[in-house]
Amino acid sequence: MSQTYTAVAVAVVVLATVLVGGFGLRISRTTSDFYVASRTVGPALNAAAISGEYLSAASFLGIAGLVLLHGPDMLWYPVGYTAGYLVLLVFVAAPLRRSGAYTLPDFAEGRLESRAVRRLVSLFVVGAGWLYLVPQLQGAGMTLKILTGAPGWFGGVLVALVVVVAVAAGGMRSITFVQAFQYWLKLTALLVPAIFLLLAWYGDDRPRPVLDLASTAAVRADHPLYATYGLIVATFLGTMGLPHVVVRFYTSPNGRAARRTTVAVLALIGAFYLLPPVYGALGRLYAPELPDGAAADAAVLLLPERAIGGLGGDLLGALVAGGAFAAFLSTASGLTMAVAGVLTQDVLPARGVRQFRLAAPLAIVVPLCGSLLVSDAPVADSVGMAFAVSASSFCPLLVLGIWWRGLTPPGAVAGLLLGGGLSFAATVLTVAGTVRSGWPHALLAWPAVWSVPVGFLAMVLVSLATRARIPAGTNAAMARFHLPEGLT
Amino acid sequence: MTGPSAPRREVVTGEPRRVRPLPRYRAQAEIQEQTALGGAYVRSLMRSQLRAALTVFAVLALTAGTLPLAFAALRDATAVWAVLGCAAYPLLTLGGWWYVRRAERNERDFARLVKGRPAP
Amino acid sequence: MSPAALAVSTVLAALLLAGGYLLGRRTARPARPSDVGTPVEHATFETLHTASLAAPPLRAGLTRESAAKAAGRLRSLLGTDALCLTDREGVLAWDGGGEHHGEGVMERVVGVLDSGRGTAFPVGCGDLDCALRWGVAVPLTVDHRVLGTLVAYAPRESAVLASAAGEVARWVCVQLELAELDRSRTRLIEAEIKALRAQISPHFIFNSLAAIASFVRTDPDRARELLLEFADFTRYSFRSHGDFTTLADELHSIDQYLALVRARFGERLSVRLQVAPEVLPVAMPFLCLQPLVENAVKHGLEGAATTSRITISALDAGAEAEVVVEDDGVGMEPDRLRRILRGEGGASTGIGLLNVDERLRQVYGDEYGLVIETGVGAGMKITVRIPKYRAGVHGS
Repeated sequence: MSQTYTAVAVAVVVLATVLVGGFGLRISRTTSDFYVASRTVGPALNAAAISGEYLSAASFLGIAGLVLLHGPDMLWYPVGYTAGYLVLLVFVAAPLRRSGAYTLPDFAEGRLESRAVRRLVSLFVVGAGWLYLVPQLQGAGMTLKILTGAPGWFGGVLVALVVVVAVAAGGMRSITFVQAFQYWLKLTALLVPAIFLLLAWYGDDRPRPVLDLASTAAVRADHPLYATYGLIVATFLGTMGLPHVVVRFYTSPNGRAARRTTVAVLALIGAFYLLPPVYGALGRLYAPELPDGAAADAAVLLLPERAIGGLGGDLLGALVAGGAFAAFLSTASGLTMAVAGVLTQDVLPARGVRQFRLAAPLAIVVPLCGSLLVSDAPVADSVGMAFAVSASSFCPLLVLGIWWRGLTPPGAVAGLLLGGGLSFAATVLTVAGTVRSGWPHALLAWPAVWSVPVGFLAMVLVSLATRARIPAGTNAAMARFHLPEGLT
Repeated sequence: MTGPSAPRREVVTGEPRRVRPLPRYRAQAEIQEQTALGGAYVRSLMRSQLRAALTVFAVLALTAGTLPLAFAALRDATAVWAVLGCAAYPLLTLGGWWYVRRAERNERDFARLVKGRPAP
Repeated sequence: MSPAALAVSTVLAALLLAGGYLLGRRTARPARPSDVGTPVEHATFETLHTASLAAPPLRAGLTRESAAKAAGRLRSLLGTDALCLTDREGVLAWDGGGEHHGEGVMERVVGVLDSGRGTAFPVGCGDLDCALRWGVAVPLTVDHRVLGTLVAYAPRESAVLASAAGEVARWVCVQLELAELDRSRTRLIEAEIKALRAQISPHFIFNSLAAIASFVRTDPDRARELLLEFADFTRYSFRSHGDFTTLADELHSIDQYLALVRARFGERLSVRLQVAPEVLPVAMPFLCLQPLVENAVKHGLEGAATTSRITISALDAGAEAEVVVEDDGVGMEPDRLRRILRGEGGASTGIGLLNVDERLRQVYGDEYGLVIETGVGAGMKITVRIPKYRAGVHGS
């Protein structure tokens, strides 16, 4: 029974996404609403779109699963995902918008006046995007496997197909409305069942949840305190460089709106993140015997059925499944579009709308293969690695590029290669399972603690050594980044 | 539909001019020459904005830097749940809100300074 | 963290930084020829390479900034102890030792600036450490105008240096001439934009005012509204600052234009607008869409007396925005349109289309020209692709 509901919920989500994407354009037929139709996107709508795209499988399923398995220390994940926006707000939001850049390669080229740096940044954007796409597709496979018994590869392939078809058919013509819709869908899909779950818990005479620090299962890392700091550094500083986050800021009409949008994002994702801990805590109560490993991510999906049961449980379970699928779809499509944009601009030979549609399959097939090959890393962990790479490469580039006149192209190259390259290498070694314990494992699995300082130091030192290469337009760029609108 | 009366469209494009596109970075240098607001003005604005940003970031970094140690020392699970599961989010939003107010005030002050108007 | 791990990671970080430093230095320096050649070949290559390095800064014209960048390279090209570049007013850049001679340079080159002919002079210097004893000044001439001088210094008189300085100065002049050419091309485009604005005016202004006047008695409120639209529209079209605007502003101006057209033609014109709001902030060349819409209106109304439909859509296509202006009017003979886009269409027809096509190609490159689908009686569909970001293009 519940399988049917789930299938229906997933189908409805896919259909609604395609519909909103295809028809979400602003259309006017008379001159009087012409002005309304051509009005730029306000902070509230854009913030919902950014949040919708940002709240991925790791947020929707992963956090509750990790909390269930490893205790409340895992709540650093959602805190980090949110705090990342605060750091983005104070250092990056308004200047990045004012730079006029659509992607990070655009920003690098405009600021450093170097095609070489642009190409290098493009490579990193594609790499980080793929790293982030893998867990999305894995999560989709796992969700459908648990809920409908479909084979593990099916969910990922389905998400990839929907995204490719939607992009190729020009269906995502108005991505802002799609993503804003996805935010409210995800919030509803987690909030409504949470209310019923809390009611059920209340009805059960409020059994005291197990709140221990690391009760069940294994301690997650040999050096948990170091791992926590690694996580904090990666998520706090990595958010600003995620390719799909950066492109959404372009939609803001100006720097001031970009700032206000970011505060709204803080509020929206903050509200969302109040929910996963509820699932984590109740999961410890009602579903403590969940199988470990990746399946812990399934806690959110199974909880309604276990705690409430019956038709109500099935329906709520279907709602959660729909929300989870929305999470895969929105993040996957946002990332695919961002990666495809960079591929068409900087990697593929010719440009144009057709190339963009051809680039979309390429952008998602590689991580799809990756997700099928690497199948046992928990969703939130793999996402953490994408954050670490972003924090060690894009964060220094953005922060120094915006606030320091001394940055030079060679400095940026050195910082990207050392900070970003080393954290990327560490990620590959971890996923390959070369080192499994002790300090070497901790250092490789949570590289941000050392790779972020390396990235910053390399950028600063090499820039200082190549002062003659400071771009001629630096002062003009600084003026454009920081002068408020209406003054220039 | 395909009768002789149905007019057909043909695709027409201009011939390649083979013009060298305008130098990519020249425009920026020109802006630099034209920027009437001197570098000193921009630098002072940047300093005040950076100060606001660093204030927020310092508070955030200090809190996030000490909390894991505090949790490890306390070993009180309820505190972890309360702080990380609940209290953190309103505080983060509040921090963001404070920064935006501060940054916008800096920009208003700057605009007044540049336009030479007295404070209202 | 244990002391051992700390030590290991410190050493690791130090190694990485050293590596990064070397890497940065390597990318910072021009590559040397890997092929083993004769010393003469090496020297030739070195010379050509130095010359090519000095060229790009000079293409921006003779300014303090470009001179500072070029002076060092010109000096190594000449292999001399010190080199100075001046314009007509003063010293732009000094490279090499003996900078204290910079003060007296302008007196030395007054004659060169006036006559346009080179000169050589002995240099007296009280400073015993200063090696400069002789200098040669040659003019930098573009279009028979002396823009400045190049002065090279040496420890002793040298005929080789004198003639080499002359050759280098000639080479610099070629670069400066090219810079002039770049600038005049930009000026030409600016002039075209001005012409385009001027072209909007007489016809359109007369018709709009006539239409507004017709409402003054019957519908004073509407007349007032239209007059405001008219004022806004003309303010935008005639604004003097900046070559670039945003899609939102351009659409807003089109909205006002259409309101004025409608005042005249009423229900004969139906316009449908379709906008993906995420492309509204896209920066684009000023007045690139308005002529296309004007063209569509003209073609639409030229047709039968029935209603004319115009569709304007601005859609998101990844890193580009795609703007389409389509009408169901009289269309155009494709060959005639080809002639117009080649600039052979005669004075009055389709200057707007040609101008837009040219400016788009100029700013974004040849692959971003207009794509037009049309036929006689088949209406016209014009597609414009605008990159969301291009260095140097910033809407104001």
